[in-house]
Amino acid sequence: MSAEENIAKAVKDFLAEAEEILDQLSLDLVALSDCADGGECNPDLVNSVFRAAHSLKGLAGMFGLTEIAELGHHLENLLDALRLGKVELDQGVVSALFESTELLTALVRNAGQGGGEPVDLTGAMERINDCLTNKPKAAKDSPLAALNIPERVLGSMTEYEEHRLLENVKKGRRIYSIRVSLLLTNFDSELMELTDQLKQVGEVISTLPSASSGIDAGIDFEILFGSELATDELTPLIERDHLTVTSFGKQEKKGAPAPAAPKAAPVEAPVAALAPAAVESEPEPQPVNPADQGVSAKSMSRTVRVDIGKLDLLMNIVGELVLSHSMIAEVAAKMRRDGLILPGQQVAKAAKGLEKKLAELQKGVMEIRMIPVGQLFEKMTRIIRKISREQGKKVDLKLFGAETELDKLIIEDISDPVMHIVRNAIDHGLETPAARLAAGKDEKGTIVLSSFQKGNHVVIQIEDDGAGIDLGRVRQKAVERGVIGSPFEVSDKEALEFIFLPGFSTSEQVSEISGRGVGMDVVRTNIAALSGMIDLETFPGRGTRVTITLPITLAIIKALIITTAGRTYALPITSVLESIIVERKEIKTVERKEVIQLRETTLPLLRLSDFFELKGAGDIPDSFYVVVVGVAEKRLGLVVDDLLGQQDIVIKSIGETFAGFKGISGAADLGDQRTILVLDVGSVISEATRGSAG
Amino acid sequence: MKRILIAEDSNTMRSMLVSTIDELEKYSIVEAASGFEALRLLPREKVDLIITDINMPDINGLELISYVRNNPNYASIPLFIVSTESGDKDLEKGRALGANEYLVKPFDPVKLQELISKYLEP
Repeated sequence: MSAEENIAKAVKDFLAEAEEILDQLSLDLVALSDCADGGECNPDLVNSVFRAAHSLKGLAGMFGLTEIAELGHHLENLLDALRLGKVELDQGVVSALFESTELLTALVRNAGQGGGEPVDLTGAMERINDCLTNKPKAAKDSPLAALNIPERVLGSMTEYEEHRLLENVKKGRRIYSIRVSLLLTNFDSELMELTDQLKQVGEVISTLPSASSGIDAGIDFEILFGSELATDELTPLIERDHLTVTSFGKQEKKGAPAPAAPKAAPVEAPVAALAPAAVESEPEPQPVNPADQGVSAKSMSRTVRVDIGKLDLLMNIVGELVLSHSMIAEVAAKMRRDGLILPGQQVAKAAKGLEKKLAELQKGVMEIRMIPVGQLFEKMTRIIRKISREQGKKVDLKLFGAETELDKLIIEDISDPVMHIVRNAIDHGLETPAARLAAGKDEKGTIVLSSFQKGNHVVIQIEDDGAGIDLGRVRQKAVERGVIGSPFEVSDKEALEFIFLPGFSTSEQVSEISGRGVGMDVVRTNIAALSGMIDLETFPGRGTRVTITLPITLAIIKALIITTAGRTYALPITSVLESIIVERKEIKTVERKEVIQLRETTLPLLRLSDFFELKGAGDIPDSFYVVVVGVAEKRLGLVVDDLLGQQDIVIKSIGETFAGFKGISGAADLGDQRTILVLDVGSVISEATRGSAG
Repeated sequence: MKRILIAEDSNTMRSMLVSTIDELEKYSIVEAASGFEALRLLPREKVDLIITDINMPDINGLELISYVRNNPNYASIPLFIVSTESGDKDLEKGRALGANEYLVKPFDPVKLQELISKYLEP
């Protein structure tokens, strides 16, 4: 990316983030305004509003948006005073906050459009200053000294956290230090669980990490916690291994509400004791922290995060509806055949309407699953930056077609294979700057990631302008490994295929990055699992191009239903080019393979019954059906017994047990209680062509 | 290749820091979007310099500094604070905890680059 593009992207990112921040700010202000009337405000809420303003100001400053930065600065000052208790929250403060937030929104919009109505900020800033000067609160005394909180804790508390500590002390809450040792591998979720429990019964003031004293590869946390509860009430609520609770100071409760009746179980056992099975009491209703109610439950943005599993479920339902529709249409046809012309027509008409709406529904659900390939590219950008640095190679990265959309699940599953290919490109493809200069190239290598839609497929290409694959070395290696007898046995294209053999690596030294056992064979298998294809082209001295062709979605597809040797299979229509009738006498044999002449090209034939080793396949009749299938540039003619027509099918996984079966990508329900297998055309083609290469 | 850890919760600010460091074309960068993430990354990546924000949602920058300075594995790693000037007291504390430098947001990219070079290329 050029510097200008970088800046343009950064500005775009900033505006998006600023809008998000302001959206959240407005929502939080509504909640803040509600609790300004009630008196008690959730400190987390005030702090979150402060942080929003703080980020906004900092960001605007970076981009030279002085108006936003200046107003943001005022807003931040007011919020800072508010969260530190220097200013009392009242409706005057709330309206000043609203006013500036609205102005900021207008300013950000102007920045996005590169102009707009000028905005006058002086009034708003004056009102903020009024709030700051007119409401001096009594200087705070420091009752903290009595608590004997250690310096290591106090020294790492922000001013805000100190203020919260004081507030807790003023309210007469007890202050606890809760120490817990956790594993580095999962401390965040464990800690989150603990703090969630704590927040039910008090306020988490600060969380100080330290090197673990108890567990290897662990981390300790010291949580400063304020609560009404006594030690023996608190401890059983949060007990777990490696946790201790200490109380600071001995405070009396000043006018605090009478504590709830002491809970039954007196705590004698250490916290880490094994809980005996006898404890079967109902979970006690947790006291609700009134402050929690101040947090707005409203969504912060206009996007919704959805578990992809839910979309899969919807897609399955849509698929099943499509099947039900086929059955209704079938019934309508039967009614008309049986003489029930009028009702038959009515049912057919209703079915037609249903079909149309179903198609819309299907399209809608499908669209939700689509995300731009750019997200994948972004990940790769980071990896490329990292590896090229570590390898001391200079790389210029070019991206094309980042807006192309692909099923989210496919993007997830394709990440690792693409990453592997990208690593190979830098590691084995691109030469060192010195070697490039010596070869008369620019010392900076280029890697191009591009993506585009091609029919019902999406193509992702990874290209480098490096040295290309040394086919001589590949042949030599194939001879060494006994794959072929002599290097002259195979064409360049066939030699290239060897790269996809398990454990086949031509690099001289196994590099730390790409040579870690995961070979191109795994890459191909992973791509085939997505019904995709991988193609490799290499140009000695000029580079290598890897082309991955993927279906846009895996969930629901149109399929051609065929039979062979009495069995029924589904062929994804995206890979079917045409169906033809062939006379037996047209078959020729070339290198022990059956082929036919189709227009200008020679088309290899594959008898599906042979491929799956099905018994009961008769000899080829005088004329027979051939389904021409193709993925990427490869073509194959499948010899089948009969064509049963096209149908929408929902592909379901056939599970791990059958994962090793080549040529099958899943199973589908035909709607008449029959389940059939769906052919993985990509792997059938590569199996068939691999057979001819070896 | 020397490695710099950035702990900053704002995506935009973080990518500003990344591109500023990228201009030097010398260092690899590890990004943490929160204090927790920084804690998780520290033992995994050999880090030569840490740049942290102060206001972060899970643990704050001061707590991160305290952790780093009190852990013999990381105690000697140079550490910069990048934060806003409003938290003067927080910056003082950061210094007291052992932060080597602090930069005020909006930070000056050239100054950051100079400081990085000063600490990493003595």
